[in-house]
Amino acid sequence: MSENYEYILKTEHVSKRFGTLEVLKDISLSVKKGEVICIIGPSGAGKSTFLRSLNQLEKITSGKIFIRDELFLHRENDHTIDRLPREKQQELLLEMGMVFQRFNLFPHKTVLQNVCEAPIVVKKEKKEEAEARARELLDRVGLSDKADEYPSRLSGGQQQRVAIARALAMNPEIMLFDEPTSALDPELVGDVLNVMKELATTGMTMLCVTHEMGFAKEVADRVLFMADGIIAEEGTPGEIFTNPKAERTRNFLNAILEA
Amino acid sequence: MKAFCKKYSRQLIIIAIIIVAIIILGILKPSRETLLSHTSPEMQKMIEADENSTRKRVTVTYNSLFIINYASLSTSGANVMSEHYVGFLGKVYPADEGPMKVVGQMVNYTYRMLGTGENLMHGAKLTILLTTLTVLFGLLLGTVLALGKISKKKVLSKISSAYIFFFRGTPLLIQLFVVYFTVPGIFGFAWRDLFNSSDAEAVYKGAFVAAVIAFALNSGAYCAEIVRSAIQSIDKGQFEAAKALGMSYGQTMTRIVIPQSIRRMIPNVSNEFIMILKDASLVFAISLMDITTISKNIMTSEGSYLVFIPALVIYLVITALFGFVFNKIEKKFSVYE
Repeated sequence: MSENYEYILKTEHVSKRFGTLEVLKDISLSVKKGEVICIIGPSGAGKSTFLRSLNQLEKITSGKIFIRDELFLHRENDHTIDRLPREKQQELLLEMGMVFQRFNLFPHKTVLQNVCEAPIVVKKEKKEEAEARARELLDRVGLSDKADEYPSRLSGGQQQRVAIARALAMNPEIMLFDEPTSALDPELVGDVLNVMKELATTGMTMLCVTHEMGFAKEVADRVLFMADGIIAEEGTPGEIFTNPKAERTRNFLNAILEA
Repeated sequence: MKAFCKKYSRQLIIIAIIIVAIIILGILKPSRETLLSHTSPEMQKMIEADENSTRKRVTVTYNSLFIINYASLSTSGANVMSEHYVGFLGKVYPADEGPMKVVGQMVNYTYRMLGTGENLMHGAKLTILLTTLTVLFGLLLGTVLALGKISKKKVLSKISSAYIFFFRGTPLLIQLFVVYFTVPGIFGFAWRDLFNSSDAEAVYKGAFVAAVIAFALNSGAYCAEIVRSAIQSIDKGQFEAAKALGMSYGQTMTRIVIPQSIRRMIPNVSNEFIMILKDASLVFAISLMDITTISKNIMTSEGSYLVFIPALVIYLVITALFGFVFNKIEKKFSVYE
């Protein structure tokens, strides 16, 4: 696959409307390979919707999405103007792994089966190879001893780490994290964040919607502050957390830090 | 296995006791020969005479039901005699009158309604076979209809809805008549043609096939609703996770959603099974010999109003057995919860 691209992921003027409610307004963002971007902001700002529209869980109303500088999708007023052929789209979508707030593990499959399901079914990998790799990944997230358990027997933090391993099993280039620690008990957050930090050091491109400011400060190359469907401010963690320019960012950060 | 035994130890002990009791009572019941040796000297003579003659004057009916057996001997000709005996726990009781007569009749009726000694398409065996096949095909058809109904394609969804509306909105008995009489009438075939013969057995088998088809078509409409509500009860996050992993709609359905729906369907499928079990009695209308038809025939030919009591008991026992089976299946599918 070609490595000669400037941006691994880029959006231009992306908007999303639910009925009359405008959730995303004209969002443009360029992401370089290996960048770790944290998206913060009040609830209802459109953070999750933006993340979900990147891997097509939501259809954008208008705007362009580029993957590896290729125009992946162009829509205007809920009509598709231009897009890659389906197979090519599918192939590029596999480059994006997603981790959900509520884990969404498959409850009827064991931890190991959860991780190797997609490689076997989608990528047609051999069962033995997929399982071997799944065990490696479970080891990486510190859950090799839980391979044969059902998800219901695991804590939230463990489930989320399985979900990360499951996404990694498809060898994605980009990982999307949709508030991965919001549904967890506070004492379980650390384990998940550690896995994510480890992932960031390996050069994975990451987009994280998160409320963990400490994590954003430590790991992010760039922090986006979103409010009311726009990127109100963006910059390095230093810029955003120590010297926010926009009034809204200041208010938000004050509210968070006071809490 | 060990854990299983421990968990169900009480039930297993009860089942074991029942089985052992049936076996012991079965062994202790008198043999056929013992039963027949209790007949009167006159009857004995006639039986012996029959052995050396081509013309049989004595008709012997022998029924054995696990722990109890029954023999009925009757003669034809000028001097009509009839004798009845019940064997239980090593003893033979004359059953020509009084309570033993009723016991003997019950054994005989139950034996006939169970379809003992007949092939699979008779009596209780027919009822169970028809019900099981109906539920299996009904579920398959119901799954297709449910997928159609929740499909984003308007045409598929409309077709499914129309199908369900039609089959839930008309009586099963008429649907059975349509499949058995109307469809072959319009298309110019007969159900017996399936078996390349026109003898009574082919006619009977053909009627059975028609019944399975009519019942499955009807059950499909009800199962569609069961499957649909089960699928729609699955968390949307499951679809999203599968999609994010690159799975197609078909893969998501067959590997993620439907396996999870099955457990949620089981109580409703169990219910549907019991409904069909009872609806299956409608096959009397096309002369299939199920429990209901046999009991009604006994009522008509022998004037016995008591025959419906063992019929009820047989239905209840089948319902209880399958209730138990569905319960176990549900437990088995719940391992991950």
